[in-house]
Amino acid sequence: MAETILTVRDLSTHFFTREGVVHAVDGVSFEVEKGKTLGIVGESGCGKTVTALSIMGLIPKPPAKIVEGEILFRGRDIANLSERELEDVRGEQIAMIFQDPMTSLNPTLTIETQIVETIRRHSELSKEAARKRALELLEEVHIPNAAKRLEDYPHRLSGGMRQRVMIAIAISCEPELLIADEPTTALDVTVQAQVLDLLDELRETHGTAMILITHDMGVVAEASDDVVVMYAGQVVEQAAVTEIFDNPEHPYTEALLGALPQLEGEGVRQRRLTAIPGRPPDLVDPPQTCRFAPRCKYAGGDSCTSRMPELREIRPGHFVRSEHPASERARTGEAIHA
Amino acid sequence: MSTPTPKPVTSGATIPLDVGHAPTAGAPIRQSNLWKDAWYRYRRNRAALFAGAVFIGMVAFCLIYPVISPHDPYDVNFADARQGPSLEHPLGTDTFGRDVLTRTALGGRISIGIGFAATFIILVIGVTYGSISGFIGGHLDNGMMRFLDALYGLPYLPFAIITLAIIGDAGFWAMAVALSIATWFTTARIVRGQIITLKENDYVRAAKTLGARWQRVLMRHLIPNTLGILIIAVFLELPGVILGEAFLSFIGLGIGPPDASWGSMAQEGYEVYRVFPLLIIVPSVAIATLILCANFIADGLRDALDPRTRET
Amino acid sequence: MSTDGALLRVRNLVKHFPIKRGLLVERTVDFVRAVDDVSFSLHRGETLGLVGESGSGKSTTGYCVLQVIRPTSGSIVFDGEELTELSGESLRRMRRRMQLVFQDPHSSLNPRLTVGDIVGEPLAIHKVGSRNERRARVRELLDTVGFDPSFTNRYPHEFSGGQRQRIGIARALALSPDLLVLDEPVSALDVSIQAQILNLLKDLQREFGLTYLFIAHDLAVVRTMSDRIAVMNNGKIVEEGLAEEVYGNPRQLYTRELLAAVPIPDPRAMKERKRERQRLQAALAQQ
Repeated sequence: MAETILTVRDLSTHFFTREGVVHAVDGVSFEVEKGKTLGIVGESGCGKTVTALSIMGLIPKPPAKIVEGEILFRGRDIANLSERELEDVRGEQIAMIFQDPMTSLNPTLTIETQIVETIRRHSELSKEAARKRALELLEEVHIPNAAKRLEDYPHRLSGGMRQRVMIAIAISCEPELLIADEPTTALDVTVQAQVLDLLDELRETHGTAMILITHDMGVVAEASDDVVVMYAGQVVEQAAVTEIFDNPEHPYTEALLGALPQLEGEGVRQRRLTAIPGRPPDLVDPPQTCRFAPRCKYAGGDSCTSRMPELREIRPGHFVRSEHPASERARTGEAIHA
Repeated sequence: MSTPTPKPVTSGATIPLDVGHAPTAGAPIRQSNLWKDAWYRYRRNRAALFAGAVFIGMVAFCLIYPVISPHDPYDVNFADARQGPSLEHPLGTDTFGRDVLTRTALGGRISIGIGFAATFIILVIGVTYGSISGFIGGHLDNGMMRFLDALYGLPYLPFAIITLAIIGDAGFWAMAVALSIATWFTTARIVRGQIITLKENDYVRAAKTLGARWQRVLMRHLIPNTLGILIIAVFLELPGVILGEAFLSFIGLGIGPPDASWGSMAQEGYEVYRVFPLLIIVPSVAIATLILCANFIADGLRDALDPRTRET
Repeated sequence: MSTDGALLRVRNLVKHFPIKRGLLVERTVDFVRAVDDVSFSLHRGETLGLVGESGSGKSTTGYCVLQVIRPTSGSIVFDGEELTELSGESLRRMRRRMQLVFQDPHSSLNPRLTVGDIVGEPLAIHKVGSRNERRARVRELLDTVGFDPSFTNRYPHEFSGGQRQRIGIARALALSPDLLVLDEPVSALDVSIQAQILNLLKDLQREFGLTYLFIAHDLAVVRTMSDRIAVMNNGKIVEEGLAEEVYGNPRQLYTRELLAAVPIPDPRAMKERKRERQRLQAALAQQ
């Protein structure tokens, strides 16, 4: 049943700058299954966007470079394709939508032109047929007055509308994989919910696989089937969504969940949030030790500061990169190293 | 500092205070100098770097050479007139037997000097006009900009000539004023645009919220942040005024004999260019080179100081 | 003037922005009703959360309270004084008692001034103390917000977003204000840094007895900071009350829609919340 569409294996994307080599993505691996959503969650600088851009081949070729790893889309390694070959893949097989709907659409072209352009790039449809298809797409993303909207320019549409248009363009060629990079961050919360619901609906109708990149744990909970937690360019935890929230293993994941302000509950007003002290590490030539250790409550002893923890399977389907995952702490009754 | 007793806000449960105020924010995340970053970006533009070197070289030459030159630039010696380049006179001699190289350096002092002086005046007028217009905004801004539009119609050189005529003599500062008076409009507009953009920044609002008076907001928060734009404006205005000075001196309205400016040298060279073209080529090339360099420098500066690249 | 014990009393606040059209001469054709008859009170030491989506008028309300934007009409009484009637010197003096913390850590600090200059500016403006006293006060303020005072000679661009917010908070506290208006103070920060700053704000409120008007669009953040909450939509306050009441027992449809839309970190609740959202959408469509 589970058909893997995308396999990323040991992906490392580095930026070669005058200050040094920035290890934006270091040894990242995951799989995306047909019809399911993988949520990649992490804070700014963790490498989630660079990962997505690497998959799409959209990283700026200098100064960035995929130094290692494979990106297997339907068994074919797309990590080292030429630009022309990538252009064929993009849009038709893998599509991407971005965070800021204000700048993702060309303000000088009508909506119709932009959708039709994409359709005709990847298919043999005539202009008439493409226009009809564009109308269908707008209706599919629930844009009211679709016929009239086709003639509009982007500035006439609200943020939520523009994002829907982006989604329409993205699915126009029936891609098998849709990558959404913070698609709702710039939107109001009610619009955000509508867009997420729409993405879910489309996923069910078309069987599209999806990668959803976000910093919001709530969005992850609502929209993903599987979750990858990233920190400092690496995957630190990976599991099904219910697993991650029921049994977070990595100290970072726990801290991240603890830092979330709650909507309801006892003593919400008085309670202090779990703040993670310090800041994510500098990714220029990082040391090969646990990157979370400087901020970790449980770090201590040799293991954390002398080698890089491996990503290991602590439970079936649940991977964690830590020397002190929660279940092991509970077992040994580990004390907190201040 | 006022210390009112903290009131428990909810049901009366006492809330333990955070222990101590140990710094939790950590050290600075980057230790860079904005100017150093800009310099690095500037350096990457080969043309701008080269142009900058040539520009500095020319200015240095003009300042230093007349002091160290073995020749007196005012020494008239008809016996040596109109000689081609030689070891003793690397650029030959002019119709009066004076060393061309030395006079070029001397002329450069005047030409470049007037160029910078005029640019300085342009900046002063432009910044004042532009910042008042941009800062106050509203109808005053509208009016001031419409007035500026009208001024754009003024022909630059004829106005410079009229101004010189009014002032009377054609000395250094007279020239500087004449050359700046009809060309400060673009700078004013650039400054106004920058001020309007800067006004949107929260730190301006913060200053007002703190109770700062408009003078402080303008002088401490707005104008200092236009520095980048102003440096670029200098190198954008320079070519125009240098050419203007050259033209005025060329037609005899500017610097006159026995003083040298590149324009007046070109005029002398024009009289004999059929038989001895070197005399007009030298100052023309000097002017052209300087202007070209200024343009490349302005280009390089614009990229180096681009606020978009500066932000992280 | 009776203030019923409230530090801040806002009554019938209105702010209209004119929409201008025209080529040569601009004419006002219509108004944007950014704040449309808003009233609320704020008591000393408490936090009122002003929550709403973009365009709801919450930030404009905050700016009007501080007279950074002059209201079109309405009354704002701060500790007995009618702010809308003040101007010039008397307003400047009032400014010492109410301050603003901004959203964007990148544009709220003048890039040309050092951290020390920035935090010390309020003292310089109001001529408080000698230069040495001011320097000492700046160091004290930075220490209070958890910022190492040895960095007073650095520039803002050398610091992260969270650190810059601390600088902004220190600046706001320099004159020991009674009221702080916080306009989306943590929206631009990562979750873990956000938690640091929110904890800091809670501590500061307890230690100095501050009163907060906390403006944000993130409902969870507002919930954790506020005693009472006012929900704004289209320039009006749609619902107001104790935080537990408004969130636990929302009466208005709009409030319920907002709450149903917030993604909460509980994967199992997803289906139920989706159904709730659809129900509410249907109900709203019928209105």
